[in-house]
Amino acid sequence: MDCGTCETAGPVQVVKPEVVEVNLTISLTAKNMLSDAFGDDRSHALLVGVLSGGCSGYMYDLQIVESTDVDCQELSVDGFRVLVPNDSSHLLDGIEIDYVEKLMGGGFKINNPNAESSCGCGESFS
Amino acid sequence: MPIVALLDSSLTLWRGKDVLPFIDGLSTNKVTELKKGQIIRTIFTESNAKIIDCITLFHMGEFIVAAGHLPHLDNLINHTHKKILGQDVSITDITSRNDIFAEFNCTNEQEIIGTFSSHGEITRANISANFSLIIASKGNGPENLATFEQFNQWRIANKIPWHGYEISNSFHPFSCGLEELVHQNKGCYIGQEILTRMRTRKRQGKILIQVDTLTCNPANITTMGETQSLAIIRT
Repeated sequence: MDCGTCETAGPVQVVKPEVVEVNLTISLTAKNMLSDAFGDDRSHALLVGVLSGGCSGYMYDLQIVESTDVDCQELSVDGFRVLVPNDSSHLLDGIEIDYVEKLMGGGFKINNPNAESSCGCGESFS
Repeated sequence: MPIVALLDSSLTLWRGKDVLPFIDGLSTNKVTELKKGQIIRTIFTESNAKIIDCITLFHMGEFIVAAGHLPHLDNLINHTHKKILGQDVSITDITSRNDIFAEFNCTNEQEIIGTFSSHGEITRANISANFSLIIASKGNGPENLATFEQFNQWRIANKIPWHGYEISNSFHPFSCGLEELVHQNKGCYIGQEILTRMRTRKRQGKILIQVDTLTCNPANITTMGETQSLAIIRT
């Protein structure tokens, strides 16, 4: 097999999506939950990202982080630091971060105007 | 053992630390445990579970090589590249550097199935007990080849689906006989909801069967043989 690894065979050209300046909102219930999670400590931030996978192709990735190596834009939303990776900014502009109680327990939910569809469990979108 | 040239196969090289989880999140089989020297087959599906491409992954150590179907390669690249986002994944098309062959009606010992070995310019992947893929650098492949007609006759006799015949965008993995490539316990991937529903309800709509060529409805035949054929029929 000739893998072309000894020469400079260029990778398939991937057109990177345009970086979008993200606007997002946080619902009142989500703010309450974030306040509980953060307390008075504002040194940490909520990282809102997107990974490939899930039943619909993209999955939300929410983490509380102090810092990240990922190239992000930092927003201040209602006093919370929110980090959004530039690579997935086009998928996250206009989202609302909500918190919903379910029979199986509560969790954050992203309402995303960019999503054409989402899977049954609501964890992924396309 | 007979060897046939697969003139419409593709070969891509996937690099980056996120490659296996990336492919795992978008295809039907569990590939994250693939180790160096091993192969595994998996299927990229659309949200309606129709096949984009069925690929064989080779873990080469530093990178992964994927053998697929050339007419499906553009769709596969379009499907995957926009989901890379910030992950460490890059894809290189190395099809033109290699020739791809299938060795059929061979005898592979159980312990080498799911592995590959390389000798000089030739890499041989042992797909099943009687089927192997051979990848050779351009112009260095085996000679005295069998015809594709002979390969199809063997496929019909062994009910083996193939690219462009049964494995196509018209069908989902269950209907074309690729159940073993749909892992039952892995996490979500595109098309999983539909495939899981089919499996749990035991209703997959269509199945791949061997039929008598003369008596079967020609519209259902996917690979035509003289006396026997392969067909995908509604259950």
